[in-house]
Amino acid sequence: MKNLTDEELMVLVSNGNLDMMSILFERYHIRIFNFLLKMTRDRDISQDITQEVFYKAIKYRTSYKKGKFSSWIYTIARNIFSDHYQSQKNKEQRLDEIEYKIEREETDGIEKGEIKEQLNKALGRLNQNDRELVIMSRYQGIKYQEIAEITGSTAGAVKTKVHRAIHKLKDHYLQNV
Amino acid sequence: MNCKQIEELLIDHLDGNLDQKEHQVITAHLTTCNSCKESLQELQLVFDEIDNDPEELPDASMKVNFEEMLEKEKGKLNTPTVVTLDQSSKNYWRTALQIAATIALVFSAYFYGKQQNNDSFSQEMAVLEKEKVQLKQEVTISLIENESASMRLKAVNYAEEFEKPGNEILRALINKMFYDDHISVRLAAAEALIKFSDLEMVRKALIDALEMEQDPGMQIELIQILVSMQEKRAIPSMEKLLQNEETPSYVKDQVTIGLPSLI
Repeated sequence: MKNLTDEELMVLVSNGNLDMMSILFERYHIRIFNFLLKMTRDRDISQDITQEVFYKAIKYRTSYKKGKFSSWIYTIARNIFSDHYQSQKNKEQRLDEIEYKIEREETDGIEKGEIKEQLNKALGRLNQNDRELVIMSRYQGIKYQEIAEITGSTAGAVKTKVHRAIHKLKDHYLQNV
Repeated sequence: MNCKQIEELLIDHLDGNLDQKEHQVITAHLTTCNSCKESLQELQLVFDEIDNDPEELPDASMKVNFEEMLEKEKGKLNTPTVVTLDQSSKNYWRTALQIAATIALVFSAYFYGKQQNNDSFSQEMAVLEKEKVQLKQEVTISLIENESASMRLKAVNYAEEFEKPGNEILRALINKMFYDDHISVRLAAAEALIKFSDLEMVRKALIDALEMEQDPGMQIELIQILVSMQEKRAIPSMEKLLQNEETPSYVKDQVTIGLPSLI
């Protein structure tokens, strides 16, 4: 079973063999978690959302239509993420908390002088769409074509946007170093 | 190509996405243009940083929670699908019934409203209702005197249906309980009277019946009724039954069971 493709496993899951989701969980949960962690900078929220991603994947297993599994699972993750922040937006408090977290990490970064933190800070200064594109493309190594599938765009448009976002990231980063 | 155009290709250049011709153009430009060369190095720095960014691991609890959730979902899966089919057919009937209920509601609302508007009509109805009850009582009483035991039994059962029976009915019932030749009629009458046991007249009659009754089956029934009514005045009759040598042992047993809860 372990040498089946993601898509073969997901077809089995959607036909009611839920155990196969364990293998998909093993293959994907760390990637999804890290994607969310880069987006939110919050371990707890990222873990909660990752948990929910796999719950939804099981719950809506029959809606899986034989496309690329990774695109499908990222689409779910993006939806839950945006739902989460949409609902949090109404509660100002949560946003403040995030702001605070970034702020704190920023000062930490300066004190320690760690380049990694400088890069995270630069990433935090991008708008959410640019940040997401950089994370998917460069941190997660997802191909332009697949990002296009996930975000509902075209490979060409994604490439242009990713390049622009990388240049922005570079500029923010160099301002701090 | 100018610097702006070159800069746009730098990322593809680093990623190795350019064809040979473009690659040559860029390489040539970079040897002469320091600004673009610097730009390339900066990009390379950012990419190196990203590549060196370590992946974080989630807490171990996440896997545990996932396994738990999976088991729960598997449990839901095991409930047979037959049930859902069954439900859908039930729902079909339910819909039909809902429609029927809606129609009934509309009609009854219409007639209710009509009746509301007509005071004299409702008064008439009340009179009719009263007459109906009276008629029923008369029928019951005449039936209760019928020669056929089964008719009398029927009448006793009718009598039980009255919410507030007139004294006539009660007297007829008590009379049947005391004197009917058939044990089944006497039993039915006694049972019918239980419903009205908060009336003194009925309680007294039940006590007297126990005093007079000779049939063991009827005696047992009366003992049970009187005990459940908590009628202490029945104690002497019960004690008498205990002392009487002719009383069957199973009747005595019934008294022995019942008496303690009265005393």
